[in-house]
Amino acid sequence: MTRRYSNSFLSILVIILGFLAVYLISGVRPDIILKSIVISAFGSVYGLSETLTKSIPLVLCGLGLSLSFKASIWNIGAEGQLLMGAVGATWVVLYLMPNAPRLILILAMFLMGAILGGIWALITAILKVKFNLNEIIVSLMMNYIAIEFVNYLVYGPWKSPYEWGFPYSTKFPLSAQLSRISDTRIHYPTLILAIILAISLYIVLNKTKLGYEIRVIGDNIEAARYAGLDIPKIVLVVLLLSGGLAGLAGVGEVAGIHHRLRVASGISPGYGYTAVIVAWLGRLNPLLIILVSFLFGGLLVGGDAIQVSLGLPGATINFVNGLILIFVLVQSVSKARISYVRKRKK
Amino acid sequence: MKGKFLVGLSLVLLFSLILNTPYGIGAEKRLRVAFIYVGPVGDYGWSHAHELARQYLIKKLPWAEFLPPAEAVPESDVARFIDRFVREEKADVIFTTSFGYMDATIEAGKKYPDKIFFHCSGYRRDKNVGTYFAELYQIYYLNGLMAGALTKTNKVGYVAAHPIPEVVRHINAFALGVQEVNPKATVDVRWLFSWYDPSKARIAAESLISDGCDVLAFTEDSPTVVTVGEEYTKKGKPIYTFGHYSPMQKYGPNSCVSGQLVHWEVIYRDILEKIRNKVYTNTNLENVDYWWMLKEKAVELGGDFGVPINPKFVSTLKEKKVVDPIFGKISVYDLVMRRSAQMKANPEKFDPFTGPIKDQTGKVRIESGRRATHDELWSMDWFVPNVIAKIPK
Amino acid sequence: MNAILEVLKATIPAGTPLLLGALGEIYVERSGILNLGVEGIMIMGAVSAFGVTAITGNVWLGVILSALIGGGMSLIHAFNSITLKANQTLSGLALTMLGLGLSGLIGKRYIGMPLPNKIYNLPILGLKDIPLLGPVLFDQDPIVYISYILAFVFWFFLFNTRFGLELRSVGESPDVADSAGIDVFRIQYLAVFIGGIMAGLGGAYLSVFYAPAWIEGMTAGMGWIVLAITIFSLWRPERAVVGSYLFGGIRVLQYKLQPFGISPNILNMLPFIFTILVLMLASKEISRKKISAPSSLGIPYFREKIT
Repeated sequence: MTRRYSNSFLSILVIILGFLAVYLISGVRPDIILKSIVISAFGSVYGLSETLTKSIPLVLCGLGLSLSFKASIWNIGAEGQLLMGAVGATWVVLYLMPNAPRLILILAMFLMGAILGGIWALITAILKVKFNLNEIIVSLMMNYIAIEFVNYLVYGPWKSPYEWGFPYSTKFPLSAQLSRISDTRIHYPTLILAIILAISLYIVLNKTKLGYEIRVIGDNIEAARYAGLDIPKIVLVVLLLSGGLAGLAGVGEVAGIHHRLRVASGISPGYGYTAVIVAWLGRLNPLLIILVSFLFGGLLVGGDAIQVSLGLPGATINFVNGLILIFVLVQSVSKARISYVRKRKK
Repeated sequence: MKGKFLVGLSLVLLFSLILNTPYGIGAEKRLRVAFIYVGPVGDYGWSHAHELARQYLIKKLPWAEFLPPAEAVPESDVARFIDRFVREEKADVIFTTSFGYMDATIEAGKKYPDKIFFHCSGYRRDKNVGTYFAELYQIYYLNGLMAGALTKTNKVGYVAAHPIPEVVRHINAFALGVQEVNPKATVDVRWLFSWYDPSKARIAAESLISDGCDVLAFTEDSPTVVTVGEEYTKKGKPIYTFGHYSPMQKYGPNSCVSGQLVHWEVIYRDILEKIRNKVYTNTNLENVDYWWMLKEKAVELGGDFGVPINPKFVSTLKEKKVVDPIFGKISVYDLVMRRSAQMKANPEKFDPFTGPIKDQTGKVRIESGRRATHDELWSMDWFVPNVIAKIPK
Repeated sequence: MNAILEVLKATIPAGTPLLLGALGEIYVERSGILNLGVEGIMIMGAVSAFGVTAITGNVWLGVILSALIGGGMSLIHAFNSITLKANQTLSGLALTMLGLGLSGLIGKRYIGMPLPNKIYNLPILGLKDIPLLGPVLFDQDPIVYISYILAFVFWFFLFNTRFGLELRSVGESPDVADSAGIDVFRIQYLAVFIGGIMAGLGGAYLSVFYAPAWIEGMTAGMGWIVLAITIFSLWRPERAVVGSYLFGGIRVLQYKLQPFGISPNILNMLPFIFTILVLMLASKEISRKKISAPSSLGIPYFREKIT
């Protein structure tokens, strides 16, 4: 038990040291930073609406990643999968079926976004299964490739003739723009979709054979092999779903927020990376991920606020994210280690 | 005329307002001004230049309150920054200083009709959203004249940020200058797809040098290209460079010939004073578009403020003579000075984009004798013939 | 011919930060630890080297400090993965985020700042006049020469010394190494520390010698490419040299290929596509030659006796 306490102590120490570092470097008191983050993100209806808006892509990416992580597949490629989803939606709206009725158009956008996001992740899966490549590196490389691909499209073939030669796609017609809650930016169709998917994923993971198999592979790959599971097939399915979920987030961003395809850095400020922490902090539990996404949406919103009100650089939030991840890590260790010790004692 | 009348009227209004307030002048509500930057303020280029202007204005305009700027704001996030400035920081005027902020600024204009927005480098306006830009093509043209005179290999290189009309226009202006002095010289381009990336800029510059270029101009927010030029020059291979946006001569005293400098404060000051004097309100900005250049003193020729041409290269430029249809036989140095004076005149007596100008395919883009219109310049997506690179499509 | 030599000459410095990082990561992975924090450590190295150089005017002070900061930062990972036996993947990712964030915070004031003194190339007399390769290899800056020496040293120590033997045996089988009396934890800590020093150096090279400038996020994925080179090298320092210069060459070649009308965005994908291709080749080679990664890579080592 002392070890558990020492680990809690350690993780608190990490946070304290981190904030001390921020203080020493920037000269802004940590309690003021925290207060500013909390108030701006959760202290007003407006702040809450922005937090909710930011949490939508985090939920979807976080769900996708949690599915992979559950199977111990280290998919770090949600960022690229999200971008490919955005490409899919744009493709449908501007090129495949621009004149389809609204409902069909929106369904087709989400479908195509999920397909392209899924295919993007599937490439990683195939390389992992067929060539035994490290999926962390491959999925990361796929992120960089997706970024360049989106930029290629908006600077090249998909550049709008109506935007004076600037790197934008043509604006989506009204029929392809997702509805928002009054004057907020909450594109609620995506939000509802995310919540439904979180619940479905929870059921899949906990009540179905596939979920069981995923967990077995994640817990102990040797046992999974021994039990005769078709591991390559499950890896492919998991990554396909995982990428599909992130792809949906991309659809939400272009159809709900931007209403056009634009350079990659304009679509996502790194949701796919933040989602790694979200998934982990949510203990890979789909329902918990909704909650954690909301908190992290708040952290992102607050991160902007401290820039405006305290003049801190935007990167501060990255640092805080890193600290939180270490915190979670140290916390999770105490549990894992205790169970390990228990096993050893048996 | 109308402007003056409005100024007068608003001064009277303002005065009566002041007299009516119980605390007199001291209680004038200070205009709250916010800036949103796309880059970090220290990028030594774009955002840095805007920040320098803001710092200058803090000293000069005591009646305005300058909020801490938001820097390195991704395009995807700018809408929220605007919201925050309006709702939490109670800003009255917001400057959004990146092309990518255009849609969000227009949306914000509709959302907050009683606030004033100015968007830098965009083309969409609204009744409370104006646009402004300090345009550099005249300076690029002047740099091009010098580049054409200095190249010995007849290959001039250009390290370019993004293939957008602004950069294309600058490359063309530069190439027109080169062409005028040295019809045999060509301009080659390497695209970085980044506004600020010194290591890419270095590779691109070295790549151009290895292809034979001995003069380099660029659009990238670091002095890297000048530094590379200085290194080669010191090693005995002279490379002439032209600084971009900030004073860069100090990075290449033996390489940096001249460059482009910008004075955003001139534009900002004008805008803010007109807002204060109610010339600009939240209802009349539909057609307010600043497109300021040499004659408004929004831009300056040189590698350092007050130094149009690095003294080291003056004699070379004075020795190099060309024949101009109007000026006759003239040194390149004098040509630069004459052209500069012509463009500073009001109205300008010269414009680099005066026809006949053809594109790379030989198609006439600007007919003989005609100057390019604002819209033509603004949406330029073709290269003049002596540019040998292509615009990525 | 001349143009090719120019490309080769530009390739060496472009590959040098990768080489430095990869040499270090080879030692880390040889000891059985996977450090995915290279990107974060590199960028911290870059910002600290730049900051110190900007303040003191002494480049070498900057370089030394960045190595120490890199080493120090890697100890967080060492502590997480060796002492706490936490998930190494997550710990590495955390380190990357921490590094990217902290460097942004520290580096804010250095953006756009020039360095007081620029280090120019130091041609080595005699060697630089070797036809063809002389000017390519021996007309470079001092850190490039140091990287040549380090590549040799890392190779020599790994395969010809007792430390190298211990390092390899720890990575292969910590149990066996432990029972042979090797202090597994000490070796692993040392390896991770060396890896951190090298990643820090790689970052320093980037900001102080290569660019020279501080840019937020300037490593732009190099840390991840280092990890790919480590695999491509099959954990051998001499192959890391080849791998690093291959990647350096790709970066340089992008700009040589632009005039041929290929979209620069597509060209920008090359290093990343190439990384995947190289990994596929390495993977084929691994299975053909029956080489394996250090077999305990990424698996925490628990001593049998839990106290």
